[in-house]
Amino acid sequence: MRITIDGQTIDVAPETTILEAAEQLGIHIPRLCYHPHLTANALCRLCVVEWEGARTLVPACVARVREGAVIHTNSERVRRARRTILELLYSAVDLSEAPELAAYAEELGVDPERFAGGERREFPVFDDNAFYVRDYNKCVLCWRCVQACADDLQFTYALTLSGRGFHTRVDTFFHAPMPETTCVFCGNCVAVCPTDALEAKVEFLVEEGVPVREAIWQRRHGEG
Amino acid sequence: MPEPMPLVARDAIADIITRWAPHGRAGLLPCLQEVQEITGWLNPEVCKQVSDGLRVPLADIYGVISFYSLLYDRPVGQVIIRVCDDVPCYLNGSQDVLAALEARLDIRAGETTPDGKVTLEVHPCLGRCERAPFVMVNEEEHGPVTPDNVSALIPDT
Amino acid sequence: METPILLHRISRIDPTCLADYEAEGGFKALRRALMLRPERIVEMVKASGLVGRGGAAFPTGVKWEGAARQPVAPKYVVCNADESEPGTFKDRVLMEGDPFAIVEAMTICGYAIGAEKGYIYVRGEYPLAYTRLAHAVEEARKAGYLGASILGSDFSFDIELRRGAGAYVCGEETALFESIEGKRGQPRQKPPFPTEAGLFGKPTVINNVETFANIPWIVRNGPEWFRSIGPAGAPGPKLFCVSGAVNRPGVYEAPMSITLRELIERAGGVKDGRRIQAVLVGGAAGAFVGPDALDVEMSFEGLRQVGAPLGSGAVMVIDDRADMWEVLLRIARFFAHESCGKCYPCQLGTQRQWEILQRMRQGQGQPGDRARLEDLWATMIDASICGLGQTAGSAIRSGLALMGG
Ligand SMILES: Cc1cc2nc3c(=O)[nH]c(=O)nc-3n(C[C@H](O)[C@H](O)[C@H](O)COP(=O)(O)O)c2cc1C
Ligand code: SF4
Ligand code: FES
Repeated sequence: MRITIDGQTIDVAPETTILEAAEQLGIHIPRLCYHPHLTANALCRLCVVEWEGARTLVPACVARVREGAVIHTNSERVRRARRTILELLYSAVDLSEAPELAAYAEELGVDPERFAGGERREFPVFDDNAFYVRDYNKCVLCWRCVQACADDLQFTYALTLSGRGFHTRVDTFFHAPMPETTCVFCGNCVAVCPTDALEAKVEFLVEEGVPVREAIWQRRHGEG
Repeated sequence: MPEPMPLVARDAIADIITRWAPHGRAGLLPCLQEVQEITGWLNPEVCKQVSDGLRVPLADIYGVISFYSLLYDRPVGQVIIRVCDDVPCYLNGSQDVLAALEARLDIRAGETTPDGKVTLEVHPCLGRCERAPFVMVNEEEHGPVTPDNVSALIPDT
Repeated sequence: METPILLHRISRIDPTCLADYEAEGGFKALRRALMLRPERIVEMVKASGLVGRGGAAFPTGVKWEGAARQPVAPKYVVCNADESEPGTFKDRVLMEGDPFAIVEAMTICGYAIGAEKGYIYVRGEYPLAYTRLAHAVEEARKAGYLGASILGSDFSFDIELRRGAGAYVCGEETALFESIEGKRGQPRQKPPFPTEAGLFGKPTVINNVETFANIPWIVRNGPEWFRSIGPAGAPGPKLFCVSGAVNRPGVYEAPMSITLRELIERAGGVKDGRRIQAVLVGGAAGAFVGPDALDVEMSFEGLRQVGAPLGSGAVMVIDDRADMWEVLLRIARFFAHESCGKCYPCQLGTQRQWEILQRMRQGQGQPGDRARLEDLWATMIDASICGLGQTAGSAIRSGLALMGG
């Protein structure tokens, strides 16, 4: 299939997504929820692009190319949507440990304080097991951990999304601590988390100022 | 302390789960709805029974319950009063009706009376805008309601 | 006043009595349909020009054709009876007052597209509608209008009912499928469209209650008759839900050539002789028009010219006494409360829109709030997954414009 992206023409196989086609041209489209080994759900909409003739922008991570498609990945319309989404995200979530997002923000001219002053998604840090810490103040709701725990990788089903709208969160059955769930501590969720909301216990302790050897000891023998 | 569940209720719940089990996950919503009619809210214990019967992960069941506003993951009154406060009802005085109910029950919207019997909620448009301001008391329909006749909405419990 | 079509049987028959329905022409359309080839039914619906009454105004015949063409089994027919758009109550009136018509229409659809199973997803807050439909399905089954070999033909079809559980977004067709499948009601990214991969991933026709209610009439009286009603671009009868500050709020049937002013007059005019401040057309997902727009024709094209969608047919009249801020705050609260939380623009945008409006109302607006709202609206329209986020700013934007903001 012959398509045009940002003025460059390329032939790609049917079923190729716009994201993949752009990659073949060396064009990087911003993304957040997308992970190459997990189901793509087009949640964050940072990857939206302008497809000539379409009513709205389309998410490049799931939209598949069609013959003759003419696509713009970085028009002002696209940048406005991306910039606003990032500004909204900064106003609700602690993104201090998401360097890729900081780079996008810089490039798009994001003002992280623009929507500040409203409700933030705030939680206590859940430190309820020996393997990882859950700090949902940093959670962007990319669904990666939930999917890795379920049908995408582990088939353990310890995690879910709960609530809806702004108050959606990653959760367990009635907020149960991890050891009371079906969790087998495989670590896949920690591996796919893009913002360090899920963090291995040792790293967490070191960041908290605990010396490395002490942290490893604590992680082995429980706290104190 | 929650009261122990009567045996008849347990049998009824088991029957509901057996009936929906062949539907698997597609039976989840109707199964939870029917169970809740008996238990008032979906406590962790009944959720576990549903999970075993329908073979749906516990976490997913909680995700579903917490998504839908008519499914409850916490105790609520046997009587739930839902006051519509959407635009057409607002234009016809729903705020006064709500205030009268709050005063009469001595609770705020979103709360349950201290005896645990009545829960008061503000609800998005209930689709009876021709009878605004409209109030539902469990499945009973009332409208138009005036602030003076709210006492009639509250069952003697 | 024209004789009503969709409301013809309402209050005239006992909605629990199959014999009453039959005496008023009921199931004649199904009998006729079963004598025709399925493709012929699809052609009739296409030729009628009927478009969906659930809000999106998609041509019904084209949708049926899309599903009929799929060489896949099983297929499904779904009736969207989740009616939760603020100010909308027409589907409830049809379900409570004329439930057999929906059963008949869905059965005809099943025959036309080659489906053997239908679902009706009824709003959870509509217990009477649910009871009436459940009764109608049972009676129809007993009388051989549903089940195996309907009326002696080789066509089989049956209907199951589901109750919604309190989520406006489940009226969105793909969220509705997720809900029937036992999941959180989060809309799916389209494509694929329902006619290709809908309920349980199978080809599905999903139509609104009122859309279905037109079908038996089209099959009995023919597409030309249908097209003779109403203006050229908007054939057929239409139900309007008039509410707010009017003397006789209710459901009114009219061809779409009726003007907004005539509609309000039929609803008894503005209460207490007040003046109109604004009218919200199309529900919370619709738009406000001012008193200068009352002579607009209530057709898709007419309303487009004043920047409003017909949507669900809701018409909320706001008089000059009402506080527009309170009205707008309710709409903003509604979207924040009902966003499913799946896509970021709507999950975050509906919350911030509500907060910004609250502070503007309290006189604590911040410099740049207007530009913030503009960016939110553009982003929700352009980047949300479903119609909820895409329309969440529409009424607010038009309302602020009317208030001079
Ligand atoms: C947020 C949202 C809510 C909706 N709610 C309803 C509804 O309650 N009833 C309905 O028929 N359509 C509703 N729709 C439209 C449906 O997605 C779909 O277009 C409709 O069921 C198709 O039927 P029709 O072609 O007969 O109108 C809604 C759409 C959105 C985006
Ligand atoms: S637009 Fe809103 S309701 Fe629709 S999918 Fe996105 S978050 Fe959910
Ligand atoms: S606004 Fe109250 S019933 Fe619709």
